[in-house]
Amino acid sequence: MNRVEYRRRILEANDAQASVLRQRFADGRVLVVDVVSSPGSGKTTLLEATARTLPRALRLGCVVGDIATEMDADRLRAAGMPSHQIVTGGACHLDARLVSDGIEAASFDTPDESLPLDVLFLENVGNLVCPASYDLGEDEKVALLSVTEGHDKPFKYPAIFARAGITLFTKTDLLPHVDFDVDCAREQVLALNPGATVLEVSVKEGKGLDAWCALLQYKLDEKRRLKAIA
Amino acid sequence: MHELSIAMEIHRSGREELVRRGGGRLLEVRVAIGELSAVEPDLLEFAWQAVIAGGPDADARLLVDWHPVRQHCADCGDVAERQPGSWLRLCPICSAPLQLEGGRELDLVSLGFSEHGFAEIGEQTEAYG
Repeated sequence: MNRVEYRRRILEANDAQASVLRQRFADGRVLVVDVVSSPGSGKTTLLEATARTLPRALRLGCVVGDIATEMDADRLRAAGMPSHQIVTGGACHLDARLVSDGIEAASFDTPDESLPLDVLFLENVGNLVCPASYDLGEDEKVALLSVTEGHDKPFKYPAIFARAGITLFTKTDLLPHVDFDVDCAREQVLALNPGATVLEVSVKEGKGLDAWCALLQYKLDEKRRLKAIA
Repeated sequence: MHELSIAMEIHRSGREELVRRGGGRLLEVRVAIGELSAVEPDLLEFAWQAVIAGGPDADARLLVDWHPVRQHCADCGDVAERQPGSWLRLCPICSAPLQLEGGRELDLVSLGFSEHGFAEIGEQTEAYG
């Protein structure tokens, strides 16, 4: 048997594509946010509310992945956010190639190569496991945990909460009806990821949206400031 | 759950390298998997068998080098204590944030192969140029 040393990343092809995306996002001065959660935690609802809350001057876009249907992209477009649906047909996560193809297909009303957006959301396939491993060229991974899922989920699905810079506890209007211990959940997230930002959000009551949108605006400003210095 | 796409990527990459070297048959693929890579070796092995079944590399063995994470506390030094599968990043002695080193490996390490493949391998080689 012949043997050959072959040191390279298994996901090298994905990482290379993610690097191309990251450079493109840097050139376009676009903040890119990968939104991850289990199915039904409120990713699309959060993005609808985000589109309504962020300043109108900001140009938003979304590439959304689901195993089937165009429903999420339809909802986001109705909320005023140009969106492109990726139907993964069974794949349980977005990868860099799917995102790249999605951006091309979306075109976001641009005639040329530039990406005329301020913030691009990547709404991942509902899944707390697989999206943790794939670099999409994003600036931030945001994990959603709805209070109906239980406060023990960060420890049970640690990879995504360890990697996400921001965790949002969603549907907090339901707190009186469920046994979700906010302090416990927050401690779990911070034990996995001491630098994480944890926010509580209720779209139904409009709570926490200002803080979430202010954080996005800050991240966008910071990216552009650092780009200007460089 | 995503071990299947990881296994497919290992096979695609290994086969590409083999074709680049003139074709043949994969006999052995060694990979490095880190504790924090979110890849389970057992599931990866299962997925690997599914990926190679019925093809020219159906006999190829997947060898996994497991890389645990090393953790260091600024006050307490190297901390050995660690529950299997635990992702806790706080020192078990003083609760300060831990520095983590390694454990994120998700790498191809080496390929073992035979230059003698089936007839169709030669045809694939030509197709790859």
